Amino acid sequence: MKHFTKLAAAAALAVSGVAAAAESLYVPNLSYRTGPFASTGIPLMNGQLDYFEMLNARDGGIGGVMIDFEECETGYSTEKGVECYERTKNEAIVTQPWSTGITLQVLPQTNVDQIPILAPGYGFSPMADGRTFQWAFNVPGGYWDAADMIVQYLGSEEPLEGKKIAFLHLDHPYGKEPLPLLEALAAANGFELLPIPVGLNEMQNQSSQWLQIRRERPDYVVMWGWGAMNAGAITEAVKTRYPMDQFIGVWWSGQDADLRLVGEDGAGYKAISWSYPNQDAPIQAELKTHVVDTGKTLSNPEEMQGVFYQRGLVMSMILAEAIAGAQAEFGTAMIDATQLRWGLENLDITEARLEELGMQGMVPPFSTSCANHTGHAGGWVIEWNGTEFDRASELLKPRVDEYRELLAASAADYAEQNAPWAVNEDCNAES
Amino acid sequence: MLYRTAGQFKTTYRADQALFPVRQDAFLLGVILVFAWVIFPMTASEFTFQTLLIPILIYSLAAMGLNILTGYAGQLSLGTAAFMGVGAYACYKLIEVMDPILAILASGVFSAGIGVIFGIPSLRIKGFYLAIATLAAQFFLVWLFEKWAWLYNYNASGAIQVPNLDTFGIFVTGPQATSMTQYYVILGIVTVMTMLCINLTRGTLGRTWKATRDMDIAAELIGINLMRSKLTAFAISSYIVGVAGALFVFMWRGAAEPNLFDIPLSFQILFIAIIGGLGSILGNYLGAILIVGLPVVLNTVPGLIGLEIKSATVEHINVMIVGALIVFFLIIEPHGLARLWALIREKLIIWPFPH
Repeated sequence: MKHFTKLAAAAALAVSGVAAAAESLYVPNLSYRTGPFASTGIPLMNGQLDYFEMLNARDGGIGGVMIDFEECETGYSTEKGVECYERTKNEAIVTQPWSTGITLQVLPQTNVDQIPILAPGYGFSPMADGRTFQWAFNVPGGYWDAADMIVQYLGSEEPLEGKKIAFLHLDHPYGKEPLPLLEALAAANGFELLPIPVGLNEMQNQSSQWLQIRRERPDYVVMWGWGAMNAGAITEAVKTRYPMDQFIGVWWSGQDADLRLVGEDGAGYKAISWSYPNQDAPIQAELKTHVVDTGKTLSNPEEMQGVFYQRGLVMSMILAEAIAGAQAEFGTAMIDATQLRWGLENLDITEARLEELGMQGMVPPFSTSCANHTGHAGGWVIEWNGTEFDRASELLKPRVDEYRELLAASAADYAEQNAPWAVNEDCNAES
Repeated sequence: MLYRTAGQFKTTYRADQALFPVRQDAFLLGVILVFAWVIFPMTASEFTFQTLLIPILIYSLAAMGLNILTGYAGQLSLGTAAFMGVGAYACYKLIEVMDPILAILASGVFSAGIGVIFGIPSLRIKGFYLAIATLAAQFFLVWLFEKWAWLYNYNASGAIQVPNLDTFGIFVTGPQATSMTQYYVILGIVTVMTMLCINLTRGTLGRTWKATRDMDIAAELIGINLMRSKLTAFAISSYIVGVAGALFVFMWRGAAEPNLFDIPLSFQILFIAIIGGLGSILGNYLGAILIVGLPVVLNTVPGLIGLEIKSATVEHINVMIVGALIVFFLIIEPHGLARLWALIREKLIIWPFPH
């Protein structure tokens, strides 16, 4: 009898759980708080989570429905990623794959499963072509944008004609991603590009790569690093006395924790970033009230001021804006995956809107359309001053027109390789 | 009880050496086959296909390939993943000229060739030293997958993507293929390979392998050609592993970068073979169910009983449970799960007597 009552209670719980789930939007995140990249993942995940926690606590979710922001742990492993994707895709309105490997595997599935992929600032650059990649979004900037802005920035210091730029990258799809564009830029600007790959098992010990850098004496080192590779490169650069002000990374190589290891010695190191941790933005106080003081956050004060945590906030803000936009358009709070896709295709994050959200200066304004799934927001160069990252440049904008053809060609190539591949015929290619 | 052998008399040598000396074994296998061929596919959800059925079959096949080499012929190998990679990349190049299923079966030929080349040192060295030689294969091949751009058709990302391909108008690979189709293709290949392996290991070749494993000097003295024995083991094992690699990428993952075939995968397959039981065919399946299937099942438990645990915590607990289980099984039966099952079966046959 006892067993029976227990079972009945469990059943009742399960039913009520289902009922509660029906009144919320299910937004899964394929997180990686475990595994080799956990140190980079945790602050990003915490930022993403806290933003939705805050919306749920302050406004009761979005448009009156709670957001069920659930993490599914992948440990950055592709196998677990696919497991998580399969587990969540039936209920989910969006999927956030979080690793280039998982993105590569999920991307071909999206046309079949009809669920948007949100990959803020990572993934396959040609995803910008929304006509080909109807379901994939890498707002507010892709890797090619990053590569172009870095070259712009270096060129603004002094002309790049005849200069030598070393490209230190993870020997992995992620690190190879910007190569086609960098080669094109090298040809156009007359600098010499020197790709230096770092294998996944050499991340912690890059002495041979830095020996090569010492021998070649490049004018700049551009880094596409991730996880342990960033810390490895930065400590190695300090050890070999490479001038830090000639060293610049992509936005995943600009984490506070990596630079705290070297502290003052790392001063002058730069990274491009589409987000900026504006400590004076009103949102910080809101977070404190609704998430920190109520003990909901998994983060800590030091992490919360960092670039990655604040970037996580921006990511969730973008998703929240898309949800709100879709709700307004379709007149229902309970939107589905297709409606959310519309929301992601019609983002319009203006200065005024950022002001309303209390997030001014944390991300450049941008907008998306059915043809433009990246938004090409641009970004700032941030510089490590020995204790934290400061903004070191005006807002840079990627010169997308210069490589639009390259994007379209890569996208067409992908569609051809994955034929039959449905493209969005109703969408006029515009800027 | 369940395994009553009373009344099952054997009156010929042939019957005594049959694959199933006890009728219940044949019945049990029949039940398993009915489940695998009919009941599972009828009832499985997309999630079950993609995270349990398909990976368990593919990993079992890979472990079976390794088991031929390590369990039966006694040649320790740490390069399994690299040979899977050879199969996958060969398949990637072959699909341009032939039917995908044929390409998968033919890709094993390439890994068999590479396997034989890396097996040559085994004629001179044994045990750990040979393991180091296969480790060299592991590192070299993964490096080759990264550097030889022709292998991945000069893709900028350096990864291979599986296109949509069809056999007789039905999509079998790529996102357009249904899980059911892919499952049946895999199951067909795995079933055939398993039958092949069972019969190989019971026959002359299997006996020469076992003799090589148990005492190579004695084997040589009774006239076994060690070179042939070792190299056939390398060839057949690598063929199976190569086919498993092609299935791994083309029927399940859909994309692969070179580091997928790195040493962790080799270790995972070695663990499956060890936990399952070296020198057994059944063990590969049991090992794959434990190492590949169990974590997925454990992940769903908290949700089913309505516990609110963070996903990361579940993952940590999961790793601990699986690790503890591996230790537990190895303590109670160092020869693996297959041996454990054999003991249970023996006990059942003579039940209710203690021994």
